[in-house]
Parts: sequence; structure tokens; C-alpha cells
Amino acid sequence: MTFSDTAQAEGPSPFHEAATLEFRHVSKTYRGTAEPAIRDLSFSVPAGDVCVLVGPSGCGKTTAMRLVNRMIEMSDGDILLDGRSVREWRPAELRRGIGYAIQQIGLFPHQTIGENIATVPRLLGWDKARIQARVGELLELIGLDGDMLGRYPSQLSGGQRQRVGVARALAGDPPLLLMDEPFGAIDPINRDRLQNEFLRLQGDLHKTVVFVTHDIDEAIKMGDRIAVLKKGGVLAQFAPPAELLMQPADEFVEDFVGADRALKRLALQRVRDIDLWRAPLVHVGDSTRAAREQAAHSDVPYPLLVDANGRPLAWLDEDDLRGERIEPGAGSPVLAIDADDVLRDALSELLRSEVQYGAVVDRAGRVTGVLSVEIMHAFLAPETKGDLDTAAFERRTSDHA
Amino acid sequence: MVEGEDRMIVPAFLGDLGDALDFIFHERVGRGGAQIGGSQVLDLTVTHLELTLAAMAIAMVVGLPIGIWLGHARKGSFVAVTVANIGRAVPSIGIVFLFFAVLGAGFVNIMLALVLLAIPPILTNAYTGVREVDPEVVDAARGMGLTGAGIVRRIELPLALPLIFGGIKISMVNVIATATLGPEGGVVTLGDPIINPSTYGNAGRLGGALVVAALAVAAEVGLSAVQRAVTPEGLKSAGRARARRIRFPVTKRKVAPTS
Repeated sequence: MTFSDTAQAEGPSPFHEAATLEFRHVSKTYRGTAEPAIRDLSFSVPAGDVCVLVGPSGCGKTTAMRLVNRMIEMSDGDILLDGRSVREWRPAELRRGIGYAIQQIGLFPHQTIGENIATVPRLLGWDKARIQARVGELLELIGLDGDMLGRYPSQLSGGQRQRVGVARALAGDPPLLLMDEPFGAIDPINRDRLQNEFLRLQGDLHKTVVFVTHDIDEAIKMGDRIAVLKKGGVLAQFAPPAELLMQPADEFVEDFVGADRALKRLALQRVRDIDLWRAPLVHVGDSTRAAREQAAHSDVPYPLLVDANGRPLAWLDEDDLRGERIEPGAGSPVLAIDADDVLRDALSELLRSEVQYGAVVDRAGRVTGVLSVEIMHAFLAPETKGDLDTAAFERRTSDHA
Repeated sequence: MVEGEDRMIVPAFLGDLGDALDFIFHERVGRGGAQIGGSQVLDLTVTHLELTLAAMAIAMVVGLPIGIWLGHARKGSFVAVTVANIGRAVPSIGIVFLFFAVLGAGFVNIMLALVLLAIPPILTNAYTGVREVDPEVVDAARGMGLTGAGIVRRIELPLALPLIFGGIKISMVNVIATATLGPEGGVVTLGDPIINPSTYGNAGRLGGALVVAALAVAAEVGLSAVQRAVTPEGLKSAGRARARRIRFPVTKRKVAPTS
């Protein structure tokens, strides 16, 4: 045991803010079994990132998570927190420095909400005033009323219990949070809300999080990085969500990510992040000949009429360009798309408005480019610039060859 | 003491019951010439309670830690079940006579027999109570850095208290009833008037039985109140169904039958 003096001087929780987490050739074989549950697992998570462990049941994702706070002891390899092996701490003290939230929540039924949240601060030996302040702060953070403090877990709804579970995990201000299917037992509507709440929280807190789920959609939504595990605890791929969707490492990942992986990417990427077409921008009073010229050399065949501030007014077609100069009030309405929208919403707007082009605008409403159905098409099937089915077919036949 | 005057106090229509109550509250000379009834009943009661409480104290000191430890370790269900079954199978009268036969008469020997009778419900209920604590709750506690002792003290014990006191209650009532066999081993308890009608007469026999029954009911009622009091606030709505489901299956005998 090499529990260092500095850590003791700082109290039992030696971490601050967010910690880096590194798995180094970690293996776990349970006694009495020949096959390892985790096999040579290596990856590292930067401080402040959400790392999702995902995979089918029996892939060892929960085991991998529990190795971090030594609820299960690894057989081989090492796990480093901020560069220090987790083996350097005594298990109980290590755990006080790591937030822990599980699907069944495990709130203490005989303790009030306030007492539940105060569990780790009490173990860390904080004084009463500090604990009280921290509990109040957390209650506010998770959006529960102060009068909930004196209630018991059995008096709360499932969603409220889950929030309290997260608050309890955060109470000691741990630099690392372990979450095992924390929203698994919640109905879909509330799950979505809790996921969004957690992402909002995480945006402020920037904790390092290890998040276990079997749901690939949840993984894509929550994760900065996703570790896909397959049976026997083998790491199939470790990548950011977009990469996972665009370049699945093997057939297993491709299957696991699902046939609709192209559609899933639409929910990940924002309009401003992709290459847009340049619009032929014209103003009232410009010559129609110049406008026609501009449109001919642009991706979009129609000039886009904008006001003095660059805000879109109308699309102009042949009829509108008959005169000498562009008249005010001419043209057909423009669909404006927010550059911050995700592609899924943008595509949905294009389809709903039954238009081929949308003018992408920034926060000030200025046109920054044009989003077309063609761009979406190319984005969805980059390999073939077209037919998805053909691409899949070709890949399969080449695998067989 | 004039017998006629004393009889006046207890209404005649109570019949045998009246005679028994009269025995409990008034001293008289027994058939063998000894003073019986009244304050002598008080002496018997004190001995009875001494024997009961001594046996209960030792049974709790032995049974509670073992039951709690087995429940916490979540193993040894075999031990707990075996102890429970032995407790159910072995007749109390058999144990008392066995101890008397092997070890001879005496307070300590009879007390040890009662300890053996008292341990199974205490141990099994303590085991069940701790074992029944939701494993997810224990997992959460462990994951937040509570030590083994911390989990027992702050999580498992508070949640198991209702069942633990349920076991103590069952043992207590059982031991109060069985302590009536004390005179067979030389400890003169409230069983004396029941076992020796030649000395005490029918009034003494019924009177002794009444006092034993009263003690058993008092223990049952009193410990039930304690059980309710120690039930954690957060469990009170959810906990009732749970307590009904797991109940130690020992039959209660108020008074052991003797000839």
C-alpha cells in the first residue's frame, strides 16, 4: 500500500475537478472461469470527457466500469487516474473520490433525501455547514425543491429518485463519475429529459464520466468517446460518435451501430459543420444581367435576394429577372435554416417545406451559404455519392471475394 | 390471616378464576405447610423473569452477531436455515429435561437450555433481516466508499431492526413460556404452582398459569411496540408487506403441558 502523504494531507479525496482515466492492458478473469470477462482493454479518456462503454449484454461493460473503483479487482494490467494507479488507494478511500450512480439507484430507504445526498461528504468528514450548503446547491442543480430534503425515497417519483441518485454521486465533487445505465429504468420520455439535463449539467461541470449503456442511441447522444465492447470484453472500437458512425471498424460494430447509422449521423452534425454551397447573393437595384451571370457560375442556379444586412428576402427566377434592375418585392419565399441546427432538423425542414434549397443563416440572420437536398444526399452516402444500398451490396460482395 | 375475610374481595361468580386471582393476591398456607400465594407469587415471578432475562441476554449476545455477520457476508444460509429448523424441531421440554439429566439441576443449567431455545429465532431473524436488504442499496453504499463495518452500522442494521426485534419478541415469549419447566431442574419459577397441584391446589395451578400468560402477553405487546418504534420512518409505508412475508416460523406455546 503506497497511500501517499500528500493525499492524506489533502483529505481522503485527492482529486480536483476532472481526472484523466487510462486503461492499460486491463484483463479480468473470474475465478473458476477459463474465458476472461475483460481481455487486454486499453484506452484513455481525456479529463472532462464522457466515455461511453457500450455493447451487447455479457460484453463486460459493467465489469470494466467496476474495475475503475475496484468494486471488482482487475486480474492484470492497470487503470490510471490522473496518472496514478487505482491500486495506490485503499478501496474505500478511492471510491469516496469517484462518483457512483447505478441503474437501480440504490437510495438508502431509511434516510431522507438530504441524508442520502450527504453520504460522501459525511464520509469525507466535511463540517455540517459545508455539507448543508453542498446539499442545497446540488438540489438546485438537479431542479428539486428544498422541501424535498426531508422526504424519503419511497415518496419520490422514479425520475426524481434518479436525479437524487446523480446528485448523491456528485456530492463529494468527484473528478470522475461512474454511471451504470443510470437512465435504464426510466420511461422513454423522462429518459430523454434526464439525458438532456445531464448533458446540460456536464456542460457546466466538465467531469470525466464513464457511462455504461446497452443502447447505442444513448451512447451516441451522451458520449464524447464511445468504447464498443464485444463478447469476452474485447474492445471493438474506441472513437468519437461521428467516427463510429462513419467508419465502423468491423462488421460487428457496423451491425451494432445499426442499419440506420447514416440517419443517426444527421442527429450528430450541425449545419455549420458541413461544406455548404455558396449562394449568388444579389440586392435590390442590382442589374439583372449581373445577377444572371452570378447565378450561372454558382452552385445554386437561382440568385438569392438579400437586404442591406445580408438577411435573405427571396429566391429570384427567370420571371423576376426580366427587367433591367431587380425590383423590391420580387421572387418566391426563402426557407431560412439556422446554422446551429442539427442536420436532421434541417433536412426535416427542407422536406416539410417541399423546397430544394434552404438559406443557412447565422445568429444575426445573415446568409452564410445554401443547404441543398444534394448536400444531404452526399453527406449520407459519402463513399458512392449516391445509392446507399449499392454501397452496402458492394461491400458485402467484396467481403465474400 | 383469616381466610373468610380474604375471599370476600373476589366476587364469587368468577368461580375457579376467582380462586386463582385470590391465590395470586393473597398469601395462605399450602397443603405441605409452606406459605404460598400472594407475595410468594411475586417471588416466583421474580425468579421466572431472572431466568428468562438471563437466557435472553446470552441468546442475544450469541445469536445477534452471528446472524448479522452471516447476513452481511451473504453466506451461511445453510447455517441459518439449519439453526431455524433445529429450533423448530426440538421440543422445548426435551431440551430442558435433557440438560437436567446430563448436567443436573441448577439455575445455570436450566438457563443454558433456554438459551438454546432462544437462539434460533434471534439468529435466523437477524440473518434474514440483514440478508433481505436490497443488494443494490448495499452496492451503492460500497461504491460510495462505506467500509464493511460502515455498511453494517449505517445501512444494514437500521433496515434490519424490525425483523431483529421480531426475532427477539418470538424468543422472549417462547422463553417465558418454557421457563415454567424450571422447577423440574430445581429453579422455582412460576411453573411451580402449575407442576405441583398437590401443594398449590387448583387455584394455585390456574393462578400460576395466569401470571405466565400475562407475562407472555406483556412481552408480546411491549416488544411489538418497540418493533414499530425502531422501524425506520422511510420504510413505514413500504415495509409492512415485507414484514408479513418473512416471519420466523416458530409456534408459540404459552404454557407447557405437564401432568
